[in-house]
Amino acid sequence: MSNNKNPLLPHLATLQNVIDLTPDVRLFQIDLNDADFKAKFDYKPGQFIFVSAFGTGESPFGLTSVAHRKGPIEVAVRKVGTVTSSLHDLEPGASVGVRGPFGNFFPMDQFRGKNIHIIGGGIGFAPLRPVILTILDNRNDYGDLFILNGARTPSDLVFANEFDTWAAAPKTRLELTVDAKDDNWTGRVALIPAVVKELQLSPANSVAILCGPPIMIKFTLTELKKLGFADEQIVTTLEGKMKCGLGKCARCNVGDKYVCKDGPVFTFKQISGLLEQF
Amino acid sequence: MSKFISKKDLNSWLNKVREKRRLIAPTKVEDLVLFKEISKVEDIVSDYVNTDLSPKEFFFPPTEVLFSIAKKDGGVELTPARVEKETVIFGMRPCDAKGIIALDKPFLEEPTDPLYREHRDKTILVGVACLKACPECFCSSMGGGPDDPAGFDIMLTEVKDGYLVQVLTDKGKALMPDSMLSESKEAKPKAAEVAKVPAEGVNVRLRQNFDDPYWGRLADRCIHCNMCSYVCPTCYCFDIRDYPNKGKSDRVRSWESCQSAGFTKIAGGHDPRANKGIRMRQRFAHKLLYFPEQFGVSHCIGCGRCVKSCPVNIDIREIISDVQKLGAKGE
Repeated sequence: MSNNKNPLLPHLATLQNVIDLTPDVRLFQIDLNDADFKAKFDYKPGQFIFVSAFGTGESPFGLTSVAHRKGPIEVAVRKVGTVTSSLHDLEPGASVGVRGPFGNFFPMDQFRGKNIHIIGGGIGFAPLRPVILTILDNRNDYGDLFILNGARTPSDLVFANEFDTWAAAPKTRLELTVDAKDDNWTGRVALIPAVVKELQLSPANSVAILCGPPIMIKFTLTELKKLGFADEQIVTTLEGKMKCGLGKCARCNVGDKYVCKDGPVFTFKQISGLLEQF
Repeated sequence: MSKFISKKDLNSWLNKVREKRRLIAPTKVEDLVLFKEISKVEDIVSDYVNTDLSPKEFFFPPTEVLFSIAKKDGGVELTPARVEKETVIFGMRPCDAKGIIALDKPFLEEPTDPLYREHRDKTILVGVACLKACPECFCSSMGGGPDDPAGFDIMLTEVKDGYLVQVLTDKGKALMPDSMLSESKEAKPKAAEVAKVPAEGVNVRLRQNFDDPYWGRLADRCIHCNMCSYVCPTCYCFDIRDYPNKGKSDRVRSWESCQSAGFTKIAGGHDPRANKGIRMRQRFAHKLLYFPEQFGVSHCIGCGRCVKSCPVNIDIREIISDVQKLGAKGE
């Protein structure tokens, strides 16, 4: 939770760097202005922050960086609406606001010793990067790591500049897939659920972590269950319209839960127990 | 023996109250009775059964600046809004005090909403018991009652030539000390008779009938005007966005309604509640199931304002009865 006494008042921050990840996704590296707050700012894989584009508003974004690397806070922002468009207009040095971190997180401790399947589609891959980095930086604590990153086209694959590092890591396999190829693409052209089916991912001593558009989640879930994955072995992050991150604005209320407070990380066992299905 | 204040003394008290504070009380606005800031005590009306709108707006305004955003020295400066003046709200009915108690739950739970906290701390609530009920009233089925003093600092009950007075808090005592009051042997008049609604256990029935086609049928006639949410003393869903203001910007919070199309629509276009029936179910599930189970109090206080204002006669009393009649299906 934020240390700020007024939980709706953002902490001022500065855009350190803006990096194009795809034609419509930019990575924002953010430096908190207040040294005390910056020193205390800690977060875990799966948590999110609100970023303010002052004059337009603020939106929630999953953190793509990991706290233990002590670098700037990072979020990957796809240009889809008014706030994200305003953020895309900003250049390094610009002032932004940060609230958070909010929400629960991937239980990395419980994942120790397990084989981890990471399956992300499009911008949904962004909040999975901290899971990958945590495993790679503590490689002996975890079993085999399987990464499946899918996107509409090859140029829409996020974090492409890190693929070589990931693929070269011990006990790690990286698979990429696209819905539609371009002239230079020699890799897979298949939807994520089809790849999951083809590769026959093993549920033995493993967890599958999914993030992506609802339609991808739905069909990937079906394939994983056919492969023998139990609901509690499948973890995802739910997306909800949010305005406060504090469980007050009631926008992300699903059944008797709030995505911002009780989530965003849920197992499918937890999701299937919700009264309302998102 | 009860404490008593005459109508004349009450009026001079109200005059004194408004010298240093903002006095909000029921007054006529065309053919409505609304809570407004009072400049002349004679403008306060007392012959209303309930005000057409609750005083929710004085704690959770329809639009409220949270902080202003200004450019400064190549960076940005944020200035949080403050509540300057103490306010006295006079003439509230017991249901609306229950509404404030319900609003307190989400806004005052940790992390507390500081602006709401300030509104609450700087406001004194003076209630007047109901001796008459509206045809739409059902407070006593929702955990309240026509003479329930809960939530008030001072509670008045009208009698001949004046009011019986209950001073309930230190804040109330500071505003209306004992020295202003006399003793009266007058018996407390009988509170209003309020119609009953079978709300007991409706949370359980709602859970059991969550996927019933009832919600879709009910929503067929909804024109999503959102009136029910806007007149509701407890609805608190909100939106936050920035608006330009004279070269600066304001971050503004405003009322939102779960009945709006797009209320849950996320970036990329997915909307888990694109369907009107599901949105309507959300409103009643939040009021009668989620909120009571989360906070231990009803999120409908039985004021009947949504019943009165709905242009297509969607009636929460009927819904409570209907859901009860759907029975224990699915369990």
